[in-house]
Amino acid sequence: MLDFTTITTAIDRFLHSALPDWAATLTECALVAVCVIAAYLVFAIVMIFMERKVCAAFQCRLGPTRVGFWGVLQVFADVFKMLIKEIIEIKDSDRILYNLAPFLVIMSSLITFSCLPFAEGLQVLDFNIGVFFIMAASSFGILGILLAGWSSSNKFSMIGAMRSGGQMISYELSMGLCILTLVVLSGTMQISEIVETQTRGWFIIRGHIPAIIAFIIYIIAGNAETNRAPFDLPEAESELTAGFHTEYSGMGFGLFYVAEFMNMFIISGIASTLFLGGWAPLYIPGLEGFNEAMCWIPGIVWFLGKTFFVIWLMMWIRWTFPRMRIDQVLVLEWKYLVPIGLLNLLIMTICVVMGWTF
Amino acid sequence: MEITFIDIKEFRQTMLQHRENGMDFMREMIGMDWNKEGLGAIYILENSSTHECVELAVRTANREKPQIPTVSDIWHIAELYEREVYDFYGIEFTGHPDMRRLYLRNDWVGHPLRKDYDPSEAINPIRLESETDEEAHRVYEIEEDKHLAEMVEKLKILHYDQYVINIGPQHPATHGVLRFRLSLEGEEVRKVDIRCGYIHRGIEKLCESKTYPQTLAFTDRLDYLSAHQNRHALCMCIENAMGLEVTERVQYIRTIMDELQRIDSHLLMFSCLAMDMGAITSFIYGFREREKVLDIMEEVTGGRLIQNYNIIGGVQADITPGFASKVKAYCADQKKRLKEYYDIFVNNVIFRNRSIGVGVLSLKDAISFGATGGTGRASGWACDVRKRHPYAMYGKVDFKEILHTGGDSYCRLLVRLEEIVESIGIIEQLIDNIPEGEYKTKTKPIIKLPEGRFFAAVEGSRGEFGVFIESHGDKTPYRMKFRPMGLPLIAAAQKIMKGCKIADLITIGASLDYVIPDIDR
Amino acid sequence: MKRMEFRNTYIGNITIAVKSLFTGMRVTLREFFTRKITEQYPENRKTLHIPERHRARLVMPHDENGNNKCIACGLCQQTCPNGTISITTRTVTDEESGKSRKVLAEYRYDLGACMFCQLCVNVCPKNAIEFSNEFENAVFDRSRLIIKLNK
Repeated sequence: MLDFTTITTAIDRFLHSALPDWAATLTECALVAVCVIAAYLVFAIVMIFMERKVCAAFQCRLGPTRVGFWGVLQVFADVFKMLIKEIIEIKDSDRILYNLAPFLVIMSSLITFSCLPFAEGLQVLDFNIGVFFIMAASSFGILGILLAGWSSSNKFSMIGAMRSGGQMISYELSMGLCILTLVVLSGTMQISEIVETQTRGWFIIRGHIPAIIAFIIYIIAGNAETNRAPFDLPEAESELTAGFHTEYSGMGFGLFYVAEFMNMFIISGIASTLFLGGWAPLYIPGLEGFNEAMCWIPGIVWFLGKTFFVIWLMMWIRWTFPRMRIDQVLVLEWKYLVPIGLLNLLIMTICVVMGWTF
Repeated sequence: MEITFIDIKEFRQTMLQHRENGMDFMREMIGMDWNKEGLGAIYILENSSTHECVELAVRTANREKPQIPTVSDIWHIAELYEREVYDFYGIEFTGHPDMRRLYLRNDWVGHPLRKDYDPSEAINPIRLESETDEEAHRVYEIEEDKHLAEMVEKLKILHYDQYVINIGPQHPATHGVLRFRLSLEGEEVRKVDIRCGYIHRGIEKLCESKTYPQTLAFTDRLDYLSAHQNRHALCMCIENAMGLEVTERVQYIRTIMDELQRIDSHLLMFSCLAMDMGAITSFIYGFREREKVLDIMEEVTGGRLIQNYNIIGGVQADITPGFASKVKAYCADQKKRLKEYYDIFVNNVIFRNRSIGVGVLSLKDAISFGATGGTGRASGWACDVRKRHPYAMYGKVDFKEILHTGGDSYCRLLVRLEEIVESIGIIEQLIDNIPEGEYKTKTKPIIKLPEGRFFAAVEGSRGEFGVFIESHGDKTPYRMKFRPMGLPLIAAAQKIMKGCKIADLITIGASLDYVIPDIDR
Repeated sequence: MKRMEFRNTYIGNITIAVKSLFTGMRVTLREFFTRKITEQYPENRKTLHIPERHRARLVMPHDENGNNKCIACGLCQQTCPNGTISITTRTVTDEESGKSRKVLAEYRYDLGACMFCQLCVNVCPKNAIEFSNEFENAVFDRSRLIIKLNK
């Protein structure tokens, strides 16, 4: 199987031989940053296009068909339109916070994005408490949303921001519980190791019932974290026009939009890493020939395949259900998901202690 | 229509008496300007159980400062009706808790439906600055010594220390240009103040200068989702006044088209309710079928929204040869599709949680507000005009009046969906038996109605749609009034929205299914 | 446990909720693989079906010699609620009989003000005007919506 470590090590060695140490590190940092941002944007474009097509298919429509063949250039046209839009300065808004907010959101999702293991060795941030870091990094995006609502000097935005505050902080809890369940199963918090252990069977299979429950809760919480229907109340267009980003125009809005999509990618990426084995190919004990064949498919294909499957799943949910109400969202979290999540954690611990996992 | 004039001194007494005699539904209130005889109003009251009607009128000769005692405490709906009359005729209703204009701007000069109104632009120029909201209710009271006198009391509508937001006039969920001013506490709605008139076109005033055939075109533009029924009502009213019998074929065609229009409207209601609750896919499913209804209607009438089909004495053109088969194919398909709506949306736990028990309109309130149509029937009020005062073919076809008792948003949707099935049933009973005959009766080129007052009502897509005509024997009406289906609904909304969440407010609004051009006329 | 009781329990709630959610998802999934209903409008002009009775704009049909049936009686102008139609006439004298009569000079129709109520078509004694199906009437300038119908 293709290991990216060889490539990265080669580049590292080359830079260190050509440049002094500090310059080499600096160049590496710059290179990594460029790669991450490029990948981020490419995935954002793919996701937006996918959303439009998948949504259309669920709604007996065709989706964009005009710009480019089968509408593939639609997203570029959208971005271009957004770029040439006027950036409106809102009266009485808090200029600094107003402009800062979208960057906070995008920064949080960029940092989380760089934790994803795309393939063996193809991971930017990887250290012993990686899972913990993901949780921490992804949770400060909420600050951006709160600030956006607060600084826009718009009552609708304010309500949207307050809703999202309540919702996202609550759902981080059950998300954390699900991840914890998997950490119990894997015994490590380092992402590369979590994936490594799954080369001998994915966690959703090895952890059977508790893992499946954790997966379902994770998808629900993930939907809530990304503010997508049925949890799209922070922006609930029929109630709050556009919620927290009502007053943003041009690229300010564009950043929120991209961040929303990329958060979905990240949530799906983490789901595929933790539950579906990340870049680990399908492994069925006893079928050595089959496992060998599976290994020929590169890890990045496995990872993206799984991630996009989870994304499709989330889109399916989003384009089926009506929106919930804020009190019901909180009831669902605190009365259903958290207790079930806690119980599930307990079950998983028992399973692991008793050796009832595969 | 025979109306009884009541002396203004005994007016409240008589009205209270009628209310006690079971006249609990105020069907219609019509502001009138009888020139020399003064200004006044006509009230049509109905007993909601026996369906017996009385027509009463009151007038005052004082044109400078006309005042009539209010009945808004007897019938809830009179509150908005009286505001409308005040707006158009300047009649101050003493004792009314909130005597503001309903449709026109606060700074409008004069009362446009008065016969002595001066429409010149010098008085009411096109104002470019925005209107300031009135901050207090205005109340006119009768003083101790029984002299009518104005007493403006400062009752704040909304206070500045409240979190006030505007839903509308441009808002995705108001389905048009209606404006709610809300005072919020967190997510909870404390008070709702409804402002109408953003799409007011003065159709009633316009009608007074148009010949009868010319007025027909306006009805399609009131509630565009019951264009057929509206026009049916007006045609019926004029035909009754002329004593014109339409052929049985016309009755069949009109009934079928009315029902198709009702299906169209109910599908739209389902779709828009779904969309307002974020279920955009259900919205598109509803529209997928609605498209088929529209195709059928376009084939016959030449229009999708503005159909111009009914004319005085018949219909514009005979049905097309393929009409029956197309309608039958559609009906069969629609029944299958309804199951899909239940699966994806109606039985969905999220929707059920959000709609059951939300925005409950009690039976008593529904009648008092005159909230007819699906809304009234969801509260258990048998208010279907097709059953109460049958017209066209409705007396002869077999259909069930859908009644639910919950009165909440959920029941309001169920009533509509079940009514689609009933409508399909009616269409299927009629479609194969359309008798041969003329599709229109010849009328004189110039239509004049005999002197008198005429009222006709049909069951529109969202309630009772009535047309009142006072004719003085000319080729133009002296007064033409349309009973709006939406005004009672938003009056009821104002009450049931109190105390709910913002999200519920949207659900309630969508489930009441009002159409703004019908409210504003 | 009785069915009704089960419905109201914690677990019962969850089961019923999840079931209803999956029913919904089944409907959308089926739709995902169904043929789509989108009409590709400008491309499908050839197959587009516009009902014959569709009222898109008022036209005055001319025969092969360029003559129309209009007798300039002005009924349509009179009956139009919005003043959409304006007719100018000129008087011609018949050379044989010496009688003079009004003929149509210009028939101006304002598409921008028309509300397609069909009163003009209904009232026309000679069926000289009718509504046509040409619905692509968008222009960039309002003045171009004022159309001269006679040739």
